[in-house]
Amino acid sequence: MKLSETASQGHSLFTATGITKSFGLNSVLKGIDISVGEREVLALIGGNGAGKSTLMKIIMGIYQPDEGRIFVAGERIHACKPGVSLSKGIYMVPQEPMLFPNMTVEENIIMGFHEKPAKLRKRLKEIMNEINWDLDIFRKAMSLSIAEQQLVEILRGLMRQARVLILDEPTSALTFDEVESLFKIVGDLKKKGIGIIYITHRLTEVFQIATHVAIMRDGVITLKGKISEFTRDMLVKGLLPQDCEETKKQETNEIDYIGLKPAFELIHFSGYGFWDINLKIYPGEILGVAGLVGAGRTEMALTVFGRDKTISGQALLEGMDVTGLSTRAILKAGINYVPEDRRLNGLFTISDVAANITSSLVTGKTMGRIFINKKVEYEIARRYVEGFRIRITGLDQLSGSLSGGNQQKIVIGRSLATGPKLVILDEPTRGIDAAARKDVYGIIHKLKKQGVAVMLISSDMEEIVELSDRAVVVYRGRIRGELKKREITQAGLMAASFGVGEGKQVEI
Amino acid sequence: MRKILKTREINSFLFLAGLIFLVGLINPSFWQPVTIINCFNDSVVFTFLSAGIAFVILTGEIDVSIGAVLGLSAAVGATLLRDGYGIAAALFAAIFVGAVVGMINGIGVAVLNIPSLIFTLGVNGVVRGIIYVYTKGAWVENLPADFTLMSNRLLTKNVTYFYGAAVLVVIIGHIILTRTRKGKYFVAVGDNSAGATLVGIPADKIKILSYVLCGIFSSVAGMIYASRIGFITPTAGNGYEMKAIAACVLGGLSLTGGVGSLAGASIGAVIMSSISRILVFLGFSSDYDNTITGFLLLTIVVINTSAQNHTVRKNRHEILLVRTAQKGGEKA
Repeated sequence: MKLSETASQGHSLFTATGITKSFGLNSVLKGIDISVGEREVLALIGGNGAGKSTLMKIIMGIYQPDEGRIFVAGERIHACKPGVSLSKGIYMVPQEPMLFPNMTVEENIIMGFHEKPAKLRKRLKEIMNEINWDLDIFRKAMSLSIAEQQLVEILRGLMRQARVLILDEPTSALTFDEVESLFKIVGDLKKKGIGIIYITHRLTEVFQIATHVAIMRDGVITLKGKISEFTRDMLVKGLLPQDCEETKKQETNEIDYIGLKPAFELIHFSGYGFWDINLKIYPGEILGVAGLVGAGRTEMALTVFGRDKTISGQALLEGMDVTGLSTRAILKAGINYVPEDRRLNGLFTISDVAANITSSLVTGKTMGRIFINKKVEYEIARRYVEGFRIRITGLDQLSGSLSGGNQQKIVIGRSLATGPKLVILDEPTRGIDAAARKDVYGIIHKLKKQGVAVMLISSDMEEIVELSDRAVVVYRGRIRGELKKREITQAGLMAASFGVGEGKQVEI
Repeated sequence: MRKILKTREINSFLFLAGLIFLVGLINPSFWQPVTIINCFNDSVVFTFLSAGIAFVILTGEIDVSIGAVLGLSAAVGATLLRDGYGIAAALFAAIFVGAVVGMINGIGVAVLNIPSLIFTLGVNGVVRGIIYVYTKGAWVENLPADFTLMSNRLLTKNVTYFYGAAVLVVIIGHIILTRTRKGKYFVAVGDNSAGATLVGIPADKIKILSYVLCGIFSSVAGMIYASRIGFITPTAGNGYEMKAIAACVLGGLSLTGGVGSLAGASIGAVIMSSISRILVFLGFSSDYDNTITGFLLLTIVVINTSAQNHTVRKNRHEILLVRTAQKGGEKA
């Protein structure tokens, strides 16, 4: 059946059929079929973890598919190593261009070719004339803007006679004018007969430049076809889990906000990666902060936590101005941040469990003035291990040997040991199993009961729906919608995260 | 454009010229042509060492075993000479030693992925130990006169054959690195290793090759050292790695790789090896030599790194700002 399908797509430049891939027990791609023809721009849309980057790595030959075939211009290719796809005319422009910063534009483009430089320069000039694009080829790559770097990457692809260009979220770091000129270039490439796979997170762009669209979710294509056959709302629906309507919010009582003073407040808070953020979190409240990875939520949290400069605005903790304080002072004031990447930012993997839980207390005097009081350390640690059901062999077990879920419980447990007023959790359940997830939710509810204000940053819309008392959606660094508990739906959050609507329920 | 590329070398050269000028102001006898030319002649060992390690530094790695490699290859070559073998055989044996150690370094760094500072530090210890075993802790002495006199033979009125050879080798290496397709691979790997792999450059092979070249250059430096000094102690070349690295940095190479040239490294070598001579002319003890070398190295590296960190942070902030920029608000 698959063979007949490809036979009928003889005109297509690129076809992948039945691609599957799993890493261990985790099945990332579950049978993907996509194809791009001449003069087509296929917009590939998907949330975080949908499997887009895995698919691209398979197309570029960096990963091997478990099953499935890839055809370029009707010819089956065995992309067993990175060079093969390249030589067959597929070129991927990575999200962050991989240039040689200390070399000139020209050197960057002709590096790796075997012809004579003079000949290459002539060909480069011809290509630049053809797509009508002008840039000083003697400029150093480090002086180029991201948009110009992308164009250098596109030229690299064209010099390799690429017939299919993959653009991976090309607009995520471009200004509005640059986006306009990129779209113009995509249009010119299209006229040249080049097929383009355009990966994006912005639904609004799709209707501007794509001819076809495919939506990926959890390793499958949920929807594909000509762009003219779809509306925005249909695309949003394709991004949502099928059983989404069935997920029920936990029926907890809505908080009575009357007479309540916010524990934490951001007023016109702006910094690098986020802009003009206004939000309030009340004691005992979980505020969901939805959005996509790269929307600026982590940057906001890190800036609150004193890791980067605030540009303008204020952060208030129980009415006290904590803007621009050092991380040490912020911790002392009662704000705790549990990072997204536990291994990189959060956990001392070669220390034992007890030391990890109590590490945020080491700077205080609870655990002894000069020497660490082992007895106190173990007592505090034991309390958290039992309370949070951390599965360990003993308090002296090294934290690096624990599972992701248990590591996460330790990192959250550690933040609680300081008795905070506000806890910022950044993707607390990413990459951990269902049982551990339930335990982590239990811990979050426990925090809530203790009257701690919780900022829950999550790209898992289901998680936001299940836990939040209120929610905001961040899109391109700005708050796009604020929702009361009964207004929070996965569809609304998803649409707003992709830049559609204000986060309230959209009609599907 | 070419000017921009060469700025770093020219800066180093101006630094050297300024240094000579300043020292001459204080002690005019330094301004004699013979003295200045001898600064160049005497830098020959460091010119070879610095040019060798420049290959490694350009690819973004480091090699702290070159002092020991210099010592071992000098000991091996000198022993053969003492025992009556010819100069060619001794040179060949020395180069073989350098190439083997370089190959080991290259495999450890490029294939086994061990941080280059740690791996070459270990190799440095091993090689230094081998020198003691090989020489049984004794000096290698009584080298044939025709070998030791070689270092005094003059190419022109004042310039030695050795320095002439060093300049020739540096020029050839410089042209290969900056003008040939494969030569540019070294800089490309140091500039962006992952990007180099993506355009089909065999980054691992280039790194191994750079270590082998570094080893060979160090062993040639070892033979020249043997000829100039006339005897080899087990500590020969001790601490030379710091001076060679400092010479590269003074010559405009970036320790993060991808920036600089062999010409720059060789100018840096002249500056480095002149420091002890300059100290004497200024009436100081040459005991300050190492302190000044280390201080110069630290100063330049600290300035370079802070500038680089600043740029990285600025670029990151710019990208983040663009992400949140709005122009009349996007229509939803």
